Amino acid sequence: MLCIEARSLSKSYGNVAAVDSIDLSVESGKIFGFLGPNGAGKTTTIKLLTTLIPSSGGTVNILGIDASKDPLAARKRIGVVLQQPSYEPTLTVEKSLEKYGMMWDVDSGTRRRRVEELLSAFDLQDIRKKKNDDISIGQRRRVQVAREFMHDMDLLFLDEPTVGLDPSARRGLLDYIRGKVRDGLTIFFTTHILEEAEYLCDEIAIINRGKIIAVDSPDELKNKFGREKTIKIRVGSVQNISDMLQGVGSYKISHDEGTVIVIHSADSEQVLVKILQVLNSNNIAVEDLSVVPTSLEEIFLTVVKNSDTGISGEP
Amino acid sequence: MHPIFRLVNRNLTISLNMGFVIWQVIFPVIYIFVAGFAYTALIHNVPFGSKNLDYPAFIASGMIGFNIMNSTLISGIIIWNDRRHGMFEQILVGPFTRAQYILSNVYTIGIIGLFSAGLITAIGYPLFFKSVAFNVFTVPLVVFASITGAILFGSIASIISTRLKSSEGFNVIINTVFLFFAFVSTAFYPAQGAPPILATAFYLNPLTYLVDVVRAGIFGNFTDTVGYEMAALVAAAVVLFSIATKLLSRLEI
Repeated sequence: MLCIEARSLSKSYGNVAAVDSIDLSVESGKIFGFLGPNGAGKTTTIKLLTTLIPSSGGTVNILGIDASKDPLAARKRIGVVLQQPSYEPTLTVEKSLEKYGMMWDVDSGTRRRRVEELLSAFDLQDIRKKKNDDISIGQRRRVQVAREFMHDMDLLFLDEPTVGLDPSARRGLLDYIRGKVRDGLTIFFTTHILEEAEYLCDEIAIINRGKIIAVDSPDELKNKFGREKTIKIRVGSVQNISDMLQGVGSYKISHDEGTVIVIHSADSEQVLVKILQVLNSNNIAVEDLSVVPTSLEEIFLTVVKNSDTGISGEP
Repeated sequence: MHPIFRLVNRNLTISLNMGFVIWQVIFPVIYIFVAGFAYTALIHNVPFGSKNLDYPAFIASGMIGFNIMNSTLISGIIIWNDRRHGMFEQILVGPFTRAQYILSNVYTIGIIGLFSAGLITAIGYPLFFKSVAFNVFTVPLVVFASITGAILFGSIASIISTRLKSSEGFNVIINTVFLFFAFVSTAFYPAQGAPPILATAFYLNPLTYLVDVVRAGIFGNFTDTVGYEMAALVAAAVVLFSIATKLLSRLEI
């Protein structure tokens, strides 16, 4: 079942198309990563999907509800952690959680139970009596994210939820999200930290200049755009190796901790075979050989660069 | 619970902190008991309808209107604070409509206005009890003035909240508005005897109408002028509330 279905969704400010006729399909029970450079249209897309701003064109279905016709019905079933901080400065951390649950009409018994659960899960016990104005930005962000779990929902939008969090809090949050997805929650997630997207997401869309330029699972994105593999061969200290390897293809040589030959090209495997033949014929032993997996970050940079230079998104 | 009441609950929780309540009590108490008695040496009696009020009774009754304005200007800036702290957007992506958000603020302002009026009536009662004429006609007059005044001044604060973006600008404007409303009015001194220009300026200020209607309710002095002042108060409240609602409805995110 599709949790989010957007067709030709657009938002323009004057002549500027912040979101330019995008199509999105997000399946229930998945974590959907939405990546893009600054100003690409991520937050505007979230505001459109959460009905915070009206679209200039296109349709949005949230959990089977036409969000333009009945935005309130859609909002009642979603949770949203916006990119910007939101807090009530005069309330304590625990009061913030409790009041937020009340605003969502959660009964008082459930509220009390969830406040305790979330204070513990988000490591907020020590600051539960502190006012939001008196805690750090990272702690405030944790409260903001924790608060959203006070109410029941089917779909949660998280717009850069880990901004300002330390690595331990970040990992804790990502694991908490994973647990919630196992319980059936669907997540729409944006981040600039691509390791997070790789760790968490079942599917990823990349947006640039208001257009979706790639959508697939992280592995498929790597298969499609990660043709330039990096292979490292360490051979100990060998002189004149450059002369031996002349004409075998594209590679680099570094001399840190012995001689390392680094192959980084679309035809890395073919170059590797040629280099191994040369090394073998010269009786040079290979001490170590490793294939460096292509990171999502490299894929992201490639896809965005291709998009900026007008090269077709898919190879 | 209805969404509006849930929002009112939340608004009251964030507004009625100890600092706010202390401010609501201390500020008028100083005016009533310090200025009230100190100025008795200069202002012995203030003629009010058929009665002659002593100055502490006059200022204590004026403080009811003053406190309604003071408290609702503060509670009216809930919108400002919500925008500043990201809660405006957060509420609007929640299970609420924009109309519910606006109405919740109106109710909150009304409740705080009544609370303030009740508080100062209780505090000032020992000073004006000799002249009080509470009955089934005058008490509703005080309640009417409290609610209308609360909506009027709450709307002014809401309009300022929607138009300004910087904290500095907001503070300058709200303090200027406060000073004009507070001191160019009949809350502290009667219009009779003031220089004609100043007396005219008093009647360009809605706080004057609010204070006059509250006094009419407390001292049972309902005249044609009070009727006109009530009409002016309602008209100003309706116009300002409409503007505030329109601006809030169009407020961009």
